[in-house]
Amino acid sequence: MRNDFYLAWRYLGFHKTRTLIIVTCLSLIAILPVALHFLLNEGNRQMTTRAAATPLLIGARGSALDLTLNALFFGAVSPSITLVEADKVTATGWADALPIYSRLRVLGQPLVGVTLDYFDYRGLRVAQGQMLAMLGECVLGAAAAEALKLKPGDSLPTPPESLFDLAGNYPLKLRVAGVLARTHTPDDQAIFIDLQTAWVIDGIGHGHAEQKNLPERSAGPFGFAEINRAADGKLPTYTEITADNIDSFHFHGDPGGFPISAVIALPHDRKSATLLRGRYVDQGEKIQIVQPQENLRGLLDNIFRVGALFDGLLAVVGGVTSLALGLVFALSLRLRQGEIRTNTLLGCGRLMVARLLAAELVLLLLVSGGLCLVLLEAIRRYAGDIVRYALIS
Amino acid sequence: MKLVRGLLSAAWLALISGFSCEALADLEDGKLKVFVSNYPLAYFAERIGGHRVAVSLPVPAGEDPAFWRPDPEAISRMQKADLIALNGADYEKWLNRVSLPRLKQVDTSAGFKAAYIRIENAVTHSHGPGGEHSHDGIAFTTWLDLAQAGKQAEALALGVIRKRPELKAVFLENLSGLQADLKVLDDELLKLGEAKKNQPLLGSHPVYQYLARRYGLNLKSVHWEPNEMPPAAEWVALDETLIRHPARTMIWEAQPSPEIAARLKEKGVSSAVLDPCAQRPEQGDFLSVMQANIANLESTP
Repeated sequence: MRNDFYLAWRYLGFHKTRTLIIVTCLSLIAILPVALHFLLNEGNRQMTTRAAATPLLIGARGSALDLTLNALFFGAVSPSITLVEADKVTATGWADALPIYSRLRVLGQPLVGVTLDYFDYRGLRVAQGQMLAMLGECVLGAAAAEALKLKPGDSLPTPPESLFDLAGNYPLKLRVAGVLARTHTPDDQAIFIDLQTAWVIDGIGHGHAEQKNLPERSAGPFGFAEINRAADGKLPTYTEITADNIDSFHFHGDPGGFPISAVIALPHDRKSATLLRGRYVDQGEKIQIVQPQENLRGLLDNIFRVGALFDGLLAVVGGVTSLALGLVFALSLRLRQGEIRTNTLLGCGRLMVARLLAAELVLLLLVSGGLCLVLLEAIRRYAGDIVRYALIS
Repeated sequence: MKLVRGLLSAAWLALISGFSCEALADLEDGKLKVFVSNYPLAYFAERIGGHRVAVSLPVPAGEDPAFWRPDPEAISRMQKADLIALNGADYEKWLNRVSLPRLKQVDTSAGFKAAYIRIENAVTHSHGPGGEHSHDGIAFTTWLDLAQAGKQAEALALGVIRKRPELKAVFLENLSGLQADLKVLDDELLKLGEAKKNQPLLGSHPVYQYLARRYGLNLKSVHWEPNEMPPAAEWVALDETLIRHPARTMIWEAQPSPEIAARLKEKGVSSAVLDPCAQRPEQGDFLSVMQANIANLESTP
């Protein structure tokens, strides 16, 4: 028996390319449906957990799913509402309100305006540096800090909103105050700023620079903008909120009218939740209240339906591939007639030849199985990250 | 035997003292940490919460809380508080430049937002302890209308109750005691206002708007500091004001310097202190300062 496997192993080793192709095909046929289910289940788990931890969401009437995805995963963009909606929730006395403003992305990472209560609510703590304290600061999720290669004390410029923004909202240079501990949630990918900083980026808040004679500088909406002299003497680059100019920053208008994307409502009990939901039954025109868990259930059902469809397709593809591999194996027997005859001349009986071929097949299956296990372990280990990067964010 | 007994006693004492320290620490830890932005709110919080609250006014002594700005350390301490009691009415000008938990904040004057007094075309003055400052925007010494002060105390009490609902009865009882005291002062000032209804008064600083409105005082304000001799132009402007508004008393936040008081006296204007009490007084408390204010106002010619 050992000799059969030895000879089979040597044969497979001699035909490396052919062996590699067959092993890859077998592994993929086996792993694809399992990996797909791994990822679907992980996605389901993550989305359900996040949604379950978010009892109610209030936002602009429209796609409830977009609202949910924006507030929970900072993915889709939903229309803005105003801060007064958060005040209304608080005023009822039935729930606490956590306003969120998620509209922009910086270098691919979501820029999320929140109040400090959000960090307490999601259990986010600072691993390096400090929590937000002053206007113009940001704290990074663990994955965002890794992706952007930033640490406390570094700067991060926000993008100009549009090349065609004639109002001239310059990018704001954020100061990284801290990096959050990893939570394996979408919060890891986010760049968090205070709501008020978000409004400065929006151009609602600004600072007036003192009118000094500064030939090296040009006035911008947030104080004096440094001139990039290497490029164009009239092109302002970053503006930054510093200890020297922070006192000049102010907002125009009633904060109640400032934009946010959603309000996470945390009812004090079941009765309060019901009463609060009742408030929005008749808000036909502008505002809606949604239960993220219910909202996502529909989405996840659809995803699993698609998953089942994929299963069917993969079963067909797997069957066809197996047949093709069978055909390849049968054809390879024809190609190996000379080799089989040589074995017979050397004294191998028919059974011995069959055993040698069976040993090759067993070895191929064993190697493919081993590769499958390794790949599945890797997928299982990184399923959370894969889902967050590929599916959720 | 004596030695053993001594050792046992020492061990027992050590255990007891250790336990006491821990119990005290627990007691301190169990207190509701309340940060306030001015002294009236500190006084209200102390009256409402009693020994169950640890009230912190982060503004250094001698600094006007209205023009104080928190440093990162103060912000960090405020972030860790259980409750942040704010005066509102644009009193905390630093509020939109710092990050504080929204759910911990109580804007004590939000309930009477509609009654805020807006100041138009205020002049920026570069003198005084805070350097250059202006009173443009909303008048913020809301508590000088003692009826409003009662509402602020109530808002603060509701905030404290929200954090410690199990002590609601105690806090409400303390609140009613405080509101009763404020009501007494309010009634006295209403009577005083009635008595001085037609008497022109001058304010040394534009901080008495709510006082004047509530108690019907005929008050016009300049923008002077008690320890800084106003420039000549200000005296000329005062003379012009006195023609239209023949006041015989100027009320001050603190005792003016003898030189200023004497020069005013030459113009027939006496000085009286009406301390808004925004900062913790060296002696007495909010009530005693307000009583002194009433006495000073009563004695004006």
